[in-house]
Amino acid sequence: MSDYRKDYLSKTLAAVILGLGIAFAGSALIAWGTPGGPAAPNKFQFVMWVVSPLWTLVLALVYLFRNGRRAWLVLSLANLVLFGAYLLIRFLHS
Amino acid sequence: MRSNIIRAYKGVHTWTGILTGLALFIAFYAGALTMFEESLERWVAPPGRHAQTPLVQADALIAAALAARPEAAKQFTLHLAETAPLGRLTWQKGRDDAQPWSAELDAAGELQLVRLAPGGVAQFVDTLHRTAGIPGDHEIGETAMGIVSVVYVVALVSGLIVLLPSLIKDFFALRVGRNLKRMWLDAHNLLGITSFPFHLLIALTSVIFCLHDPIYALQDPLIYDGKFRQVTASSGVLAQAPKDPAAAPMLPVQALLDQVAELEPGFQPSAIEYRNAGTGGAVARVIGDDPRYLVRNVGFVVLGAVDGRILNTDYLPGHQGSWSAVVAAFFAVHFGTYGGETMRWVYFLLGLGGAFVFYSGNLLWLETRRRKAKAGELPAQARASRWLAAGTVGTCLGCIAGVSAMLVVGKWWPGVAPETVYYLVFLFCVAWAFIAGAPRAAVQLGWLTALATAALPATSLLAWLLPDSGLWWHAPAFGVDLVAAAGALMLAWAAVAAGRRARGGDADSVWAQPASSQPLPPSGRGPASACQE
Repeated sequence: MSDYRKDYLSKTLAAVILGLGIAFAGSALIAWGTPGGPAAPNKFQFVMWVVSPLWTLVLALVYLFRNGRRAWLVLSLANLVLFGAYLLIRFLHS
Repeated sequence: MRSNIIRAYKGVHTWTGILTGLALFIAFYAGALTMFEESLERWVAPPGRHAQTPLVQADALIAAALAARPEAAKQFTLHLAETAPLGRLTWQKGRDDAQPWSAELDAAGELQLVRLAPGGVAQFVDTLHRTAGIPGDHEIGETAMGIVSVVYVVALVSGLIVLLPSLIKDFFALRVGRNLKRMWLDAHNLLGITSFPFHLLIALTSVIFCLHDPIYALQDPLIYDGKFRQVTASSGVLAQAPKDPAAAPMLPVQALLDQVAELEPGFQPSAIEYRNAGTGGAVARVIGDDPRYLVRNVGFVVLGAVDGRILNTDYLPGHQGSWSAVVAAFFAVHFGTYGGETMRWVYFLLGLGGAFVFYSGNLLWLETRRRKAKAGELPAQARASRWLAAGTVGTCLGCIAGVSAMLVVGKWWPGVAPETVYYLVFLFCVAWAFIAGAPRAAVQLGWLTALATAALPATSLLAWLLPDSGLWWHAPAFGVDLVAAAGALMLAWAAVAAGRRARGGDADSVWAQPASSQPLPPSGRGPASACQE
């Protein structure tokens, strides 16, 4: 397969925007899905910290996608799954 | 497809690196120096500014200081180290007060109050590290550096991906020789790969240090339904402090320290920060270190200053909750606050090595874009190359020269603000690099930087030879002189090498001094070499 396209702009934008979504949804899942909920003492700092590795991981690896469209597609799906899981957790907690 | 990906990542690595390299050079050079910022402050500061009052008189000192200056009761700090650099007891008027007050008891037991000189060099080196010297409000500089750090993670990972296929072959190769580009590439790769874990940890933590406020702001509605303030307040270290404004006697300092020692014998207190002293709500935050743990920048325990009750151990190594302990580890790997003196030196060297990686990255960019001489014909190098070469030389050497000059001037003329000296020297170097062009500036600024750095040990030597000169030197800060002397020698060697390259190196290099018979390229026209050594 040699249909790899660089698509720098498209992939970078996908990672900046959708990667941010993944990072925040991931941090929200950790806040609500681990023991003690979001108000557990001093957990909020850890919850903030995980945003950095999650977001930058997506940013660094996005160029592995075959093309920009695929990056948008897969990362959008990841957002849907993560935010869906978060809504589910919040629903179960309410 | 594989080679396509590698090629794409090569582009990513090149551009992320070029965009962030110079800012990161400054952040890493200053960051390396922050590992020894107390020593730098010590080197500059006049003798006798450190604590005079014996620790056994601390209680009398506190009583006398509060009687004379009741406003200090709100918050003051008692420094426990034998030779605390700022004095035994200090307080600030508000958070941004750059000139803390210092209180001491003289030999006769009389209270002496001194207002400390503004903004020490340690503080400016720290600011330089956090903002890369971007002027204006620190928040602007830190936010910009947060974005730089995000790009820097991408540069790191992309660099690793590019190198992976040839990693085994190229890893320990350092091909010194005629092929300069090959040598720079080997050095860049070798340092980059061996210090990759360090760089990755520094990058990921920097993103957080710079961008925590916007991240919290976004998480507030998403996670905490707008109640983030309540969450942090209940985790606050003073949440358990009694609210009692009535006057009440405080426990002696030694009693508080005994209480802490009983709770955690391995904890080594270095300071006590008092709040609401002299009231029933007085609290003492005992700050210190525990070499057995990955300590945040500092560890601390909060006690009631009246009854000695332990109020909070969330930041006391070994007594933290698991969430706090993990976050403390993130802090520790950035600040190098573990493993004692050894790790301090390791972090110092890794910081300098990091600066070199960014510098060499820019050189590689230039070598890759060199317009080679063909059939005896010498092409003009691209303007982008000439500008990047000038910018690299001016920024890197300007940063080193600026810090060295700031330290030396701080000692000779204590009234001069450190940042003024730094910015004057830094901006001069950058401007001169563009005026004179990279080939000349690399040599001239190289010597300037070497001289500015050599002025540190020279000043100490002068103070030692002429004790009546009014200059001074401190034995405990002698390491600063040794390291500066070694650094000056290396800078001088680099300046000699740059001179050799300018005259005898490849003529089609951006570093080659244009021969006098040839027309000078537009940006390479410097005023006749007035500064030539």
